[in-house]
Amino acid sequence: MSMSKKYWRGLPELTESPEFVKQHQSEFAEPLPMDEFLNEEEAKSNGTSRRDFLKVMGFSTAAVALAACETPVNKAIPYLVKPEEVTPGVANFYASTFYDGHDYASVLVKTREGRPIKIEGNEMSGVSHGATSARVQASILGLYDGARLNGPWLKGSPTTWKNADDVIGKAVGSGTVRILTSTIISPSTKAVIAEFMAKYPNSEHVSYDAVSYSALINANKNVFGKSVVSSYDFSKAKTIVGVACDFLGTWLNSIEFAKQYSKGRKVSKENPVMSKHYSFESNMSLTGANADERYMVKPSELGKVIVALFNEVASATGNSKVSGEGKISNADAVKAISKSAKELVENKGRSIVVCGVNDEGVQTLVNGINKMLDNYGKTVDYVHHFNLKQGSDKEFIELISEMNSGKVGVLMTYNCNPVYTSPASLKFAAALKNVPTKVSFAQVLDETAQMADVVCPDNNFLESWGDANPKAGHFSLQQPTIHQIFSAPRYEGTRQFQDSLLKWAGVKSDYYTYLQAYWQNHIFPQQGKFLDFPSFWAHTLHDGVLKVVVAKETPATVMPKDSAGKPILSGVAAIINAITDSSKAEVADEKLIKAEENPTVADALPTPDYNKAASMATSVKSGQFELFIYEKVGMGNGNQSNNPWLMELPDPITKTTWDNYITMAPADVKEMGLHEMLRQDKIGSIATVTINGITENMPVLPQPGQAPGTIGLALGYGRNAETLKVANGVGKNAFQFLSVTNETIQQIASVTISKTEETHKFSATQIHHTIMGREEAILREVSLKEFKEKEKEEFNPSVTMATHEGKVPIAEVDLWDSFPRLNHKWGLTIDMTSCIGCAACVVACGVENNVAVVGKTEVGRTRDMYWLRIDRYYSSDMTKEKGNNEHLGTKQTYLDMETPSHNPKVTFQPLMCQHCNHAPCETVCPVLATSHSTEGLNMMTYNRCIGTRYCANNCPFKVRRFNWFNYNANVLFTDVNPSQNELGRMVLNPDVVVRSRGVMEKCSMCQQRLQAGKLVAKKAGAPIVDGSIKTACQQACPTNAILFGDVNDENSEIAKWRNNERNYFLLEELGVKPTVSYLMKVRNQEEPMLVEENKVEEKNEKSEEKHT
Amino acid sequence: MSHLSLKSLVAAFLMLVFFTSGIRAQDGAKLFKQNCAVCHTSHTDAHGTGPGLKGVFDRVPKPADAWIHKWILNNEKVIKSGDPYANKIYNDNAKAAMTVFEGQLDDKAVDAIIAFIKGPPPAAPILAKGPSSDVAATENVGGIDPLYLTLGILVILAILIGALRSVRTSLQNTANRSEGKEENPEIGFWNEVKGWMGTNRRLVGVFSLILVFMGMKGCWDACFDIGVYYTWETKNGYKPEQPIKFSHKIHAGDNEIACQYCHNTVEKSRHAGIPSVNVCMNCHKAITEGATTGKTEIAKIHSAAGFNPLTGKYDESKSNPLKWIKVYNLPDHVYFNHSQHVVVGKQECATCHGDLKSMTLAEQKNPLTMKWCIDCHRQTEVAMEGNPYYERLHKALKEKYKGQYDVKFTVDKIGGLECAKCHY
Repeated sequence: MSMSKKYWRGLPELTESPEFVKQHQSEFAEPLPMDEFLNEEEAKSNGTSRRDFLKVMGFSTAAVALAACETPVNKAIPYLVKPEEVTPGVANFYASTFYDGHDYASVLVKTREGRPIKIEGNEMSGVSHGATSARVQASILGLYDGARLNGPWLKGSPTTWKNADDVIGKAVGSGTVRILTSTIISPSTKAVIAEFMAKYPNSEHVSYDAVSYSALINANKNVFGKSVVSSYDFSKAKTIVGVACDFLGTWLNSIEFAKQYSKGRKVSKENPVMSKHYSFESNMSLTGANADERYMVKPSELGKVIVALFNEVASATGNSKVSGEGKISNADAVKAISKSAKELVENKGRSIVVCGVNDEGVQTLVNGINKMLDNYGKTVDYVHHFNLKQGSDKEFIELISEMNSGKVGVLMTYNCNPVYTSPASLKFAAALKNVPTKVSFAQVLDETAQMADVVCPDNNFLESWGDANPKAGHFSLQQPTIHQIFSAPRYEGTRQFQDSLLKWAGVKSDYYTYLQAYWQNHIFPQQGKFLDFPSFWAHTLHDGVLKVVVAKETPATVMPKDSAGKPILSGVAAIINAITDSSKAEVADEKLIKAEENPTVADALPTPDYNKAASMATSVKSGQFELFIYEKVGMGNGNQSNNPWLMELPDPITKTTWDNYITMAPADVKEMGLHEMLRQDKIGSIATVTINGITENMPVLPQPGQAPGTIGLALGYGRNAETLKVANGVGKNAFQFLSVTNETIQQIASVTISKTEETHKFSATQIHHTIMGREEAILREVSLKEFKEKEKEEFNPSVTMATHEGKVPIAEVDLWDSFPRLNHKWGLTIDMTSCIGCAACVVACGVENNVAVVGKTEVGRTRDMYWLRIDRYYSSDMTKEKGNNEHLGTKQTYLDMETPSHNPKVTFQPLMCQHCNHAPCETVCPVLATSHSTEGLNMMTYNRCIGTRYCANNCPFKVRRFNWFNYNANVLFTDVNPSQNELGRMVLNPDVVVRSRGVMEKCSMCQQRLQAGKLVAKKAGAPIVDGSIKTACQQACPTNAILFGDVNDENSEIAKWRNNERNYFLLEELGVKPTVSYLMKVRNQEEPMLVEENKVEEKNEKSEEKHT
Repeated sequence: MSHLSLKSLVAAFLMLVFFTSGIRAQDGAKLFKQNCAVCHTSHTDAHGTGPGLKGVFDRVPKPADAWIHKWILNNEKVIKSGDPYANKIYNDNAKAAMTVFEGQLDDKAVDAIIAFIKGPPPAAPILAKGPSSDVAATENVGGIDPLYLTLGILVILAILIGALRSVRTSLQNTANRSEGKEENPEIGFWNEVKGWMGTNRRLVGVFSLILVFMGMKGCWDACFDIGVYYTWETKNGYKPEQPIKFSHKIHAGDNEIACQYCHNTVEKSRHAGIPSVNVCMNCHKAITEGATTGKTEIAKIHSAAGFNPLTGKYDESKSNPLKWIKVYNLPDHVYFNHSQHVVVGKQECATCHGDLKSMTLAEQKNPLTMKWCIDCHRQTEVAMEGNPYYERLHKALKEKYKGQYDVKFTVDKIGGLECAKCHY
């Protein structure tokens, strides 16, 4: 590992292209538009002369001077009656539940003066375990979405609730009613729907998930007789095999899986054990990027991989094989299947196989594999199953044919947008036209609401009461954290879905009362801790979550009511009965588990036909190109696509913002003659794509790791709703390309692609792909084998510097005096083995620190404002050693090193301000706007900054961000920046300054949280408790990869991490002494990762010494 | 200078005399304010929740001091013992129980309170300390404003010049006449000045340069005062008219209501808090007429609360919020936390807000500039003793400044001047 590195600013500098040489001389990369003002001819054409320019300048100077003379009058308006729990200036946290039909998280909502400003994970939850994802973090902005409806709509214009109720009342009384919803995990909401259906017996409830998990449910029905989705425990798994399953990013309950997954991979010298993760997939997913071994497989062969794996496991465990094994074109993958099968069998009961293909046959085989591996009840559990996905594609397809036949009189759509999310082949929109009365509960005028006759806008989840039963045995409550935003008299207001249904069902109770009654009747009896309901309710509401011993199904039945139509609360006798009931249920469940463990009582289970499943699984036809439709980590299923934070969030893999595109293998791109986007090129080609008879023009992004002959396309873009200003018209809708096979909606389709001459400019936050031989200084990695066997100095050598006294540790070489850190010495450490690159921290940082959204054009000019970014690096086939051996020459070697491998290894590295203790930025600031604190932090003072940008220039980590515009007021950003409208502004954190144009900004290490935490300790008169202060990124991290603490406190967790043998600092050889450190990434692989370069160098040195 | 220092010496001497005799009473005043002032007034007859304490030593059974001592510590005990006067008071005050202070106050503290009640009425309220010392405040009182002085001198000089000029002209003319020459032609004043300037170009150049520089310096200095609503010379600041003629003097001064009673989030939050209308109504439900403004101003609170004093009932639909004008404004890029300064730093309200107890209309009494903040941080010692949070730091600081004479651990020594402590 040599230290003789050559750095350059970009490839043009290396190649010394003529453009670069020319540009290098000038201060600005692009010429300034001064000509427009100063050139006489130009002036004539655009009407602005130099004279005008000077006039305007003079006037504005005078105007500014005058405006500054005005004394602002600030008003202080106190409460009339101050709510007891509100202290102005102090945040309150309320436990609540986030579930949007796609993701679930038990959350704490931070409110200031009664308005929610941040979402954090609830650590008491047994389902989300205090973790959040980028989508959950960003969801708070949905509350303040300017596109939200503030009252009901009737036939395309606003109306009153009375009118809306009248119209619907008439319609439901006469026709057949269908309620189409996304999965509902709220037991009380199910009961409300049951109330409605009891009143109108002609009605039916259909569940439908935009991203379907039907096959998983059907497979469990086939194998275990239960139509549920199993839960998984990745922390107990030693071997994990994922087939096209993005379980860390988007699949099922990815938040919990990320937590479990990282738990199984916390590696240390004392405990050098970690799970081994194999991934077989077509697209490069977040999960695949984290896999120890990843293999590229075409979508049509994914089923064949499962069949092959089934047969390998079957033969090793002595079960019968299935017939019809197909050919897999990737020979490496074939080898890996038998290798992984061997390991799976070795770790019987401690392994897991998951698959994201929505095909009943495939999923039945996956169940079969897990069953043979004895994983049920250990790593996979259908008893404590998830309720998160209940949608049935079959029922949805049947509903469409019912609609087509004109049988449906009223269609109500709640929390789903089928016009947008259903496959084009199902022709939902056409079928919808046959329904006389269409009711939508959408909060915004989305594609379905636009076609609806009546829109009854639902409350946002932060304004609503509710409950959830995400997993058998786990309940959580949802409580309003703000008064309904549109409750002012000038608005007609929004109304919660449940309240609307209760009203139409004639139940004379609001949903809150109903919810309490439901909990008293059905959930309170399931626990034994509290004897009276009020204290049970208060405690559960406070905790937000409730775990009951029994996985008892909560019935969705109509509740008994008194003569006034109000639900009756149950008495003591009912509770006692219920408790005995639940203990019975516990026994029953244990039997089920035992039945699974003991084959003799397994008769009750159905006998799955694996051969039939195998023929289904391998039936997909291959094509010239095959499409696999995926979800982006930021966008999910697109229900939050109008959220600018998620639109701008760089995709963890492609790093591209504000865009939807086809990902294609670089070799295919080259072969088709499309733009290869090499050498940091931002211009891509546009290709014409025909899928299932639909033709669209889409940009092509070369994606290393994409299986050859396949393309990937993300869901959630291509919105067609004018009021959704952020999302409307961005990208193309991938839902239309979904295909319907075996009555399930599948992500696989065959494609024909042709080239166009048009081009497309991508806006990405990272346009170079590889680390280019600087691993040692920036990105240290080691294989598990080497980590176990070698000494610290071998895999993580300390950085030294050659002086006249010989090699000296870099820490001892210093130009400057160091300052003592008497009180605190803050430190932040990032474990790169745990980091999965999910970007939850990136969104959380933005929310906490009021980071501006800048839009696509500005990101394209590298003016993104992220304080925290995640650098993604691909491995390259070319190394310096290889270049040397093959005599390629330095230039060619470096050029080749920039090209990622065919199937690269991926590393994620979160990077924020490193708070260097000898910060290069501080010494160049002419106005001392950036300086160092006695606690080791680099402070940025916005009000002092004059915007020279010298600091950004001098920063070795490039983490400083300059405000080129006043993003909070400039009209260029009105559509993208939430802080420009009255409503969106409410999300701003009042403890952090909103920066203006012309100042530099950067990570402050959440100074506001630090100061608040210190104040708590000072007021309490006690030292700071380790772990009581968390930065926003740390709080959001689902894998506990980020740790903040006081290094001066010897017993703190961070002090232990700093002593870890994997600890290192970035660019340590510069001697900037960062406050942030990193723990090396350990990969569970046999091949060595360390380059044996040291020895060569040492030999050279020795021989030199001999000569002298 | 000698004049000024003489004045300050006298002031200091007077204060010394006053304070040495009143140290105990001053403690008592503070204790009284904290514990008693919500219900009692110390030196008037005004009846709050409890009776006014003027002349209390003549009323109670003798020996008065001992009896009052017992009463303050545990009035319930005294009543239960069957003391006739105690029971009389108890019944006279509608059997409203007074707080038992046993365990909260020790004997010394009670004695201090008694000494305070016995002592003369507090002439000067507790003085503000901090960078703007009150000794300095007295300097300009009674003096002539230097601006007027300069102007006066200038006017006198102008008259003098005019007079001398006419004297010179007439003398010249007389001389000319006596010598038989023609009278000097009448040259205008300005022409003459121009002529003089023409002959003395160097001097004029130097003077105009000095003037230009002075003007630039003035502009530069004025820039520092942009956004500062405070007059340095008179030590007076922003003093807006409020929607209600609320007087801090009546509430905090005369009636001795503790600041925290109304500004009750000062120890919990960054904001001291403007009292919500229901806090006003705690007292003003009963007190409907003020001493100076009569019923008009208190009626405004009632209308804000939707309260009808005739029926004694609230009507929420008629309530509307009060819109006070904020007096102490900090820019948005400054983070200031009241609880940090009051609870941890143990600062008095008056340190920054001046003596509100004597203000009828609240006025900004300190400039709120960064220099002012920093000056205070440089002078104020951190209350480290007895706070375990500071233990480690205190030890380290003692080690660092070991052997140095008279080192004070002021706020700036623990990083209180760092940018990001207030700007983030």
